[in-house]
Amino acid sequence: MPSSMSQQILLSPAELSYLHTSLSSSPPIRPDGRSSTQFRPLIAETDILPGTNGSARICFADGTEAIVGVKAEVEKSRARYTHADEDGEGIVEEDEGRGLNEWVELCVEIPGMRDDDSMPVFLAAMMSEALLADGEFTRRLYINRRFHWKLYLDILLLSQPSSYPLPLLSLTTHLALLLTKFPRLKSEKDEDPLFDDDWDASVFLYPRSSTKSFDRPPVTLLVMSVNGNIMFDPSKEELSVAEVVLAVSVGERSRSEEGDMVIDSGKTRDLRLLAVRTIDPPSRLTHPGVPNALNTATGGSAADTSEKASGQRETMAEGSVWQPPRGGAKRHQIAAMIQKVLEQGGVAEEVMAGLDGVDLG
Amino acid sequence: MPLDTSSYSLALLRLDGRRWNELRRITAQISTMPSADGSSYLEMGNTKVLCTVTGPCEGGGTRDRDRADIRVELAIAGFSGVDRKRVGRGDKRVSEMVSTIQSTFASTLFTNLYPQSTIHISLHVLSQDGSLLAALLNASTLALIDAGIPMRDYITASTAGSTSSYSSNDESADPLLDLNTSEEQELPFLTVATLGGSDQVSVLVMETRVQAGRLEGMLAVGVDGCKQVREILDDVVREHGKEVLKSGRL
Repeated sequence: MPSSMSQQILLSPAELSYLHTSLSSSPPIRPDGRSSTQFRPLIAETDILPGTNGSARICFADGTEAIVGVKAEVEKSRARYTHADEDGEGIVEEDEGRGLNEWVELCVEIPGMRDDDSMPVFLAAMMSEALLADGEFTRRLYINRRFHWKLYLDILLLSQPSSYPLPLLSLTTHLALLLTKFPRLKSEKDEDPLFDDDWDASVFLYPRSSTKSFDRPPVTLLVMSVNGNIMFDPSKEELSVAEVVLAVSVGERSRSEEGDMVIDSGKTRDLRLLAVRTIDPPSRLTHPGVPNALNTATGGSAADTSEKASGQRETMAEGSVWQPPRGGAKRHQIAAMIQKVLEQGGVAEEVMAGLDGVDLG
Repeated sequence: MPLDTSSYSLALLRLDGRRWNELRRITAQISTMPSADGSSYLEMGNTKVLCTVTGPCEGGGTRDRDRADIRVELAIAGFSGVDRKRVGRGDKRVSEMVSTIQSTFASTLFTNLYPQSTIHISLHVLSQDGSLLAALLNASTLALIDAGIPMRDYITASTAGSTSSYSSNDESADPLLDLNTSEEQELPFLTVATLGGSDQVSVLVMETRVQAGRLEGMLAVGVDGCKQVREILDDVVREHGKEVLKSGRL
């Protein structure tokens, strides 16, 4: 594969400045004409590999493509030491050890990158964080006190990442997990597990109910902001001028019946924030533009020392030439971005509704 | 996996119900990935392979300045087998297959037309059930055709095995065409690839022991299988060409 260009930005300061101004106008003008909450079109395919417990493939319109395969194996649980009282009887708390993070193994493969490169490792960490955040997921893998399912999630990115591949990988993983099935357990209690060999009788990892709302695996969305404008699903060009980039993981919980009575009927989904990570925007690596006042070719005078030059940059008027963003994300901005994801009728609801539209076979 | 191959002689049917000279179902698509220069997806029974080709692009020519380098990357997905197993890039079997594919296409493509450039072939194995190398070679051929890289002819590959094992002196043993995993584990087999519909063998890989007398029959069946595969691949390419013409994408 040709060397990965995804991390490098091949845009001049003038181009960056143009992008920045158009994205910071209100409403923002995005290079591909989308609205700020609009996603790029995608094609999703599910259950493509009969050899796995669950699999999915998603193609983004920019040509990036990912395949996720989920495989489960029965594994013996580690023996745990229990607190013994004087009579020598072990007291095992019912809830303890019902789910351990080591029961899930997630790995991301990106072409042209080694397994220990920072990008696949970071992506894998972010996605497993979202998956394990609430401790609910590993509980689903519990069989009995002696055995559990070990779940292997292999995430393959098939093409070069043209923009930050996190949303693509996360959506594909979501679909694959939604389709993951285990054979039905026939044995009881702490016996050695015995399974029904009829695949038609298998049970879903995320059981579906006839009502619309059921537990769903998490989805991680990429949100960016430029000058206070919040945009979703940024393309590569947009990311190159982003000031703040946030990965927000959202999960959905089924709603209990009595809960329905209490909560007002307007809210259709019980969305929960699972994890938030800031991602270092690639725009920090760009070169700043040179303003006329500092350019000898346009009648200005170049600063003689580098300290002086940076001092002049500091005092420069905002918006004259491109400058890489400085400083971290402001707290109120992060709050606004999360709000935009989670609010009623917000983007997360829209994404979940979109995923409902995928034919789950 | 223990497998009772003796049942073959009773009905002359293999475990999956095929006759000795039958291929598994081969389906293929080309131009599956719009972002790559050439791409293909090939299924041979339950073996599923994806191939993308990028290039010829600048750079390379490190070995020979007058022709293009061919770089092959092969990734076997952890979920492709029966048990989940991660295969690293340094795996010996993987690097052997990579070098086989590389040298095959180095002699089939007109690399001299692209001096100082590189052609990347990237292969993903999504599911494996025997005849892996053959499937990889067939998928690469399709993707290279899709990328429009000039080549002498199709490289088509298939596998052939021999029904009776090394020890039994059964001379009437039938050779088998296109083996699946359980047959590959049990029987001696070879992978053969030919250039076009001709009898020119360009790849011959055999890792098991077999009586020398059986080899000829196996090879003949394998070469015959390659001819059948060529017809199938040719149909795929022609079908795709017709579609492109119809949609006016040219």
